[in-house]
Formats: sequence, C-alpha cells, structure tokens
Amino acid sequence: MIFAKIKTSLIGLTSVDRASLSLWRCQILAILRIELSKNFWGRRAMLLYLLALVPVVILFLLAIVDPDGASDISRDWNSSQQAFVNIFDALILRSVVFFGSTWIFMNLFRGEVVDRSLHYYFLAPLRREVLVAAKYIAGMVAAAVLFSFSTLGSIFFLYYARGYPANIDFLLDGGGWQQILAYEAITLLACLGYGAIFMFIGLFFRNPIIPGLVVYGWEWINFLLPPLLKKISIIHYLESHLPIPVDEGPFATIVAPTAVWISVPSLLIFTGLVLTLTAIRIRRMEIRYGME
Amino acid sequence: MRVEYRPEELIVFEDVSKFYGEILGVNRINLTIEPGITSLVGPNGSGKTTLMNLMTGLIQPTRGEIRLLGIAPTDPEQLFRRVGYCGQFDSFPRGVTGYQFVNSFLRVHGYEKRQAEEKAWQAIERVDLVEAASRKVAGYSKGMRQRIRLAQSIAHEPQVMILDEPLNGLDPMARAETIRIFRELAREGMHLIISSHILHEVDTMSDRVVLINNGYILAEGGVTGVREEIEDHPMQVMIRCNLPRELAARVFAAPHVVEAQLHPDRQGLFVKTTDPDEFFLMMNRLAIESSVVIESVTPVDDDLAAVYHYLIGSSGGGEV
Amino acid sequence: MAVYEHHYKPYTGPLSKAWSRFLVIPRYAYEDLFQLRFFIALYALSFVAPLIFTILIYLHHNVTALAVFQMDVASLIPVNGTFFEIFISLQLALAFLMTVIIGPVLISRDLANNGLPLYLCRPFTRTEYILGKMAVLGLLLSSFTWVPGLLLFLFQGYLAGGGWMIDNWWIGGAILAVCWTQIILLSMLAMAFSAWLKWRTAASAALFAIFIIPTPIGLAIEEIFRTRLGHLFNPGMAIAQLTRHLFRTFGSTEYILSFGESWLVCLGYALVALWMLSRKLRAYEVIS
Repeated sequence: MIFAKIKTSLIGLTSVDRASLSLWRCQILAILRIELSKNFWGRRAMLLYLLALVPVVILFLLAIVDPDGASDISRDWNSSQQAFVNIFDALILRSVVFFGSTWIFMNLFRGEVVDRSLHYYFLAPLRREVLVAAKYIAGMVAAAVLFSFSTLGSIFFLYYARGYPANIDFLLDGGGWQQILAYEAITLLACLGYGAIFMFIGLFFRNPIIPGLVVYGWEWINFLLPPLLKKISIIHYLESHLPIPVDEGPFATIVAPTAVWISVPSLLIFTGLVLTLTAIRIRRMEIRYGME
Repeated sequence: MRVEYRPEELIVFEDVSKFYGEILGVNRINLTIEPGITSLVGPNGSGKTTLMNLMTGLIQPTRGEIRLLGIAPTDPEQLFRRVGYCGQFDSFPRGVTGYQFVNSFLRVHGYEKRQAEEKAWQAIERVDLVEAASRKVAGYSKGMRQRIRLAQSIAHEPQVMILDEPLNGLDPMARAETIRIFRELAREGMHLIISSHILHEVDTMSDRVVLINNGYILAEGGVTGVREEIEDHPMQVMIRCNLPRELAARVFAAPHVVEAQLHPDRQGLFVKTTDPDEFFLMMNRLAIESSVVIESVTPVDDDLAAVYHYLIGSSGGGEV
Repeated sequence: MAVYEHHYKPYTGPLSKAWSRFLVIPRYAYEDLFQLRFFIALYALSFVAPLIFTILIYLHHNVTALAVFQMDVASLIPVNGTFFEIFISLQLALAFLMTVIIGPVLISRDLANNGLPLYLCRPFTRTEYILGKMAVLGLLLSSFTWVPGLLLFLFQGYLAGGGWMIDNWWIGGAILAVCWTQIILLSMLAMAFSAWLKWRTAASAALFAIFIIPTPIGLAIEEIFRTRLGHLFNPGMAIAQLTRHLFRTFGSTEYILSFGESWLVCLGYALVALWMLSRKLRAYEVIS
C-alpha cells in the first residue's frame, strides 16, 4: 500500500518534472535566440570581433606578410612554439579572453539594466534561475565561438608559416592535434570560469569595473603569489594544461602544475558555485532603473 | 448585493510596506482588489508604480505579504501565466521590430513557434499595429510604443492586466484608442488595474478607485463609496445666490459649517460642512425664511475629480 | 489686439569674468564628488605616499634619526631621479584609478539628459565646456600628483641646501612635464569615452583597456616580429617611457620607445580624443 503510494507520487513527480524540464528547455532556447542575436549582431559585438581578431591578424601578418618571420618559424620550430605559448598566455588568455568575457558576461545583466529592458524577462513566466542558466549559456556560446576562432586562427597561421609538409607532419605525427585540442580546451575553460565570475560581478555591482580591476590584478600578479594563493585563481589552472610550460619570468614562484583530473573538475565546481550564488542573488533582484 | 469572491480571484495586500533605503515607497497597505476595472489614482510619487511593481515582483516588500489570484509574486512561473504587466518603462530590447518584440517574449513564455506567431499577430492586430509590426520599435511614435508594449503584455491572454500610467503622454486620439482597447478587454472579462492621474478618463471607465498619496491609501471603493469612507471630512457645496455675504454670515453660525468662502464672481459661495443632511435642511429653511434668493445648491465633489482634489490637492499643492 | 505689459528686464548685474566661467563646472562637480564616501577614502589614500616620502626625505637629512635607526638611510634610499620617479609613478597610478572612476560620467550624463544645449545656449563655448570638464580632473589630479611632487622637491632642496636645487632642476621639470602629460592625456581620453559610451562601465572599461590591452599586443608583436613598433599604440607604455626619459633613469640603450616616440604616441592619442570629442559635443541633437 505504502509502496503503491510512493510509486504513484513518484510517477506524478516525474511527470511534473518532465513538464517543467520541457518548459525550461523551450524557454532557454527562446532566450538563447534573443541573446545570441544580441551577442553576435548587436552593436556591442563589434568590439568583440575586433578583440578576437587581434591575435589572428598578428599571426596572419607573420605568416603571410613577413617572409623573414615565416622562415624563422620553419627554421626554429621549438622556439616558435615557445613564443606562441607566451603569446597565447599573455595575449589570448589574459587579454582577449579575459576582456572579451568581461564584456560579454557583464553585459548579460548589467547591459540590460542600462538598456532598461531586463524587466521583460522578469515579467515572463520564467524562473529567474532558468534566466541565469540561459543567459550564461548564451554568453558561453558567444565567447566560445569567438575566442575558439581566435585561438584556432592564430594556430592556423603559426602552422601555415611553418610550411608544407612539415606542418602536416607535425599536426598528424608530432602531437599537433593534441596541442590544438589543449589550447582550445584551455580557451573554453577560461570562458567558463571568467564568464561565471563576470556574470556574478555584473549582477552584484552597479559599477562592476572596480571588482573587474581587482580580478584582473589578482590574475596578473598570480606568478608572484605564494603557492597556496596561486591556486586561488583561474589562470593557474589554465596554465597548468598548456602544452608547453609558459615562462613566467625570473620573479615567479615555481609551483607544480595541477593535474587535469583535479583542475578541470575544480573549475567546473567553482563555476557551478558562482552560478548558484548568481541564481540566489537574482531571486532577490529588484528592477530599479532609476538607481543606475 | 455584494458579491463574495474567493481568495484566488482577488489581489490582496496585507500590511505591505516598501522603503527605498530611508525613503518611503508605500506604508502599511491593506488592500483587496476585486475583479473589474480598478484605478489607482494619485499624484506623481504617491506610490502607484511602487504598488504595481510590488504586485508583479519587480520589487519586493520590506514588510507584509502580497497575493495575486492566490499566487505570490515570488513565483513568476505561475503568476505571469495569468498576469500581464504593461509598465511605464519606455524602453525595448535593442534593435527589435514590433513583431519580434511580441513574438520573442511569447517564445520565452514557452509557446511553440506557430502558436507564438499566431498569438503575436492577434495581439498586434488588437492594438492596430499590423502595418508597423515589421518596423524597428526605435522608430515608433510614443503612442505606437505604448501600444506595442500593450500588445506584448496581453499577447499571452492574461486574466489580470496591470497598466502603469498607460495614458501618460498620449495625444487625445491615441488616448481614446487606448481606452477603447481597455474597455474591450474588460468586456471580455479581463481584470484591469490601471494607474493614472488623468482623472476624468479613469473616472468614466473604472468600477472602483483607490486613492493613494504619499505612500498611503487614502480611500478605496466606488466613487460613491469613497465619499462614504471620507464622511468624516467636510463636504463642499456651492450655493448660487444674490446675497452671498449675508448668506455666508447666516450659514457660518451653524456648528456643522467649518468654512465659507465667497465665489470669485461674487454671485455665490462655497461652504464646507461636516453634516450634509443637517446642512441641506438648513438651506431649505433659509430659502423660505430669509431674503436671500437661492438659485442653486450643488455639491461640488460628487465626481472623482473633486474627491481627488479634496484628498490630494490640499496636501499636494492643488486648490480646493 | 492684446497688449501685454512687459515687466521683465534683462539682468544688468555683474557677470563673472569670461575667462573663469569654465570653473563653474568643476565647482559643482566637486560638490557631488565629495559626497561619495568611496571617493573620499580614495582621495585620502592618495596622500599616504606624499606623507611617507616626506618622512623619508626628512630621515635622509636627520642625523639624530639616522643614529637612532642605526642604519644608513641616506645611502639606502638616495633622493635622486629614481626616488621622485617612484613617487610620481605611484601617484599617477592612483590618478589613473581615480580617472577610471570619475571620468566616464563627465560628459555622458550631460548627453544622456540633453544637458549640452543648456550649457551651449548660454555665453559658454564648446572649448569652455571641454576646459571645464577637463578642469574637474585636472585640478583634482594635480592636488595629489605634481603639487605634492614639487613640494617634496622643494623640501628636499631646502634640507639638502647648497646647490642641490640648481643641480637637479630637471627633476622639478620632469615632475611637471610627466604629471601634466598624463593628466591631459587621461582627461582627454576619459572625456572622449564618456562622450561616446553612454554606459559608465563601458567607458571605464574602455579607458582601462586602452592602457592595458596594447601592452600584450605590443609584446606579441615584439616577440614575433622582433620590432618595438607594436608599442607605438600603447599610451601606458609611452607615459612609462617618457617618465624614465625625463627622470633620467635609463641606461644608454635600454629604452623601448625613444623620447620623441613617447611624445608622439601621447600627442596622437590626445588628438584622436579631441576629434572624438568634437564629433559628439554639439549644441543640437542628432536623430538617427
């Protein structure tokens, strides 16, 4: 009897959950459509395209325009790879992905508050947690597409400069594929982590630039920090997976890279926690545009 | 006969207060709004928008509880299936056309593509914007923007519509058109809550009014009901006569007359009385006994405008 | 026909001097600014370094104090170009932070509220408007950059005696030149972003990005092309290099940008900012 009751209630619960899940899926897709068109085609997206193009253009110039540069690369492939990892770390990760994610994810909520259009979402039969999830996914898709392209484009021109068939040989037999996958995965993880942080900051602070500066400063001085503090950052976990260790300079604290099976789940858990905090925050959020 | 409504048909505020830091939004609001057209009337800054934002969960009360049709504003998933809100924010997502604006948020409601398209066009048709629907909202006139927002908020066919100053800034034609839509919606059984400070328009279309000022509810009910509620306050009467000074001296002797003021044209006077029945009896006596020729005795605050001015104008700087 | 009796007359009282009219803008801006606790805290913080550096100069010359500490402060912290360079760099970093906070709302609020025609319909030109807005930052940043810098310089000259000031006059010149270059450049860029970006955060971010992002780009170009030309787009680098040139803290060949190149970069950015301002600051509304 009791089992039958439990079974009935479980069936009931499952059907309700299924309906909810299906509704949330529809709502997330609808929000994605709105947000992606803003992220890719809105006026604010122009800056992102420019930012994402910077490393690609630099490596394009090297590979196509500067014959000396291209010959240097094909002559000393190891040094070129070391140079590329430095560029990837300083320019792509710490600048393009960092500032790009700041722009995309802070705009998700703060941009709507500035445009005074967030209330339309709040007036829909939509759980605010679902809104957070949908907006985050939209931001992730935009960031992932743009910055993956940035990374991939840069690698393409680096390989192109090396010349055929050495580049194809390296790609297929010299660990090139693994390198590309590692760089792409690091880019995606960076979008994931920074995205969550900046969406959170964008929701909590009316002027998110100061906390943004603090995060930037913290990530920037990471190489100087003692080992324990070094691990309280995103860049440490990202740098741990670079195919070639990055040269942090003479003043850097040397810390062993964190293993993949620790760092990736840690980043995912961190992202999950930040998103949970964001969802809690948004439940109490009020629409008071006059305050802006 | 008074109709008894179930809690799931009412909008209930229980001891609701909202403070913006140290600034009072609304204070200790106990209000029950029944189905029909209800108007929230009060001057700018009186707390109308705060009440509406509280109802829809855009802001949260500092104290107290609110229920709309038995649903808390903190449960948007349930609430906005049955409620639509057309706020005062004259802003739109960037770069959308009228149709995209209505359609995209219907999709956020969870409607399938075809259903959303159908409902979007129905709503757009209803507000008479079919021709402009494919144009960017940024190029719309104020009246068109107002109407497209109305279309967006009614597109999912809510049971309750909350409209914050929907007539504000509209030209007379757009205003008449908007009022026509409201009446039509009310005829179809939708419950409307409208805030306004344009009294004569609200007056004619409302089933009941809620007067609000400085964050407090001053009176609520039908226009007549509101008068009853404020019977402690003196009623103002205008008397047209040939000897207003003499009449003023006579009526002022009565204990229930609290003020007598000459009309600017010297052909009459305004009198405020705390006991209208006794006052009218006295006027009958005076008409027979005295030499004063009384042409007319008219209560000046029988319409909502008068009640509004009485209650709000005095503290809001208006004239009585 | 209605005949109206005119009771009004134009104002005939004294007017403020035309040259000082632009100061109306900073006067009201400071009233708002000094109501912000965060700003006051930051402003107070900007006087910590002057205090510390004053103490250091004092210790440098105080024989008794040196004896008490039993250390040779004079040789440990020599008061020379590097000493003043560190001081000025610290203060200019704070100036940058303060500009990021204050700068973005300088013009955007006027534009957002259609306030510009209200200024320009009076005997007040666009130049005066820009000067006024610039003065908000200029006067404020001066108060904790070159003013205490020169006071420190005078204090050191007074304590060192002899011909120290004559021998080191260039330090005073460097303090003035570096601070004014950065103040003018920061103010111009802040105003330009404020005029173009209505969202305060975006303007702050742009200001921040223009000083930060060119560094890794310049480094990447240097790493790949083995050229320093990439740094020609970096205003932060230009200011840093200019500081080192003026305070004479370079060796013979270690600079990234030459003295002339550094000036050129600063001038280039200032001109671009001016162009951006002239495009946006109009006494009429442009409807697109």
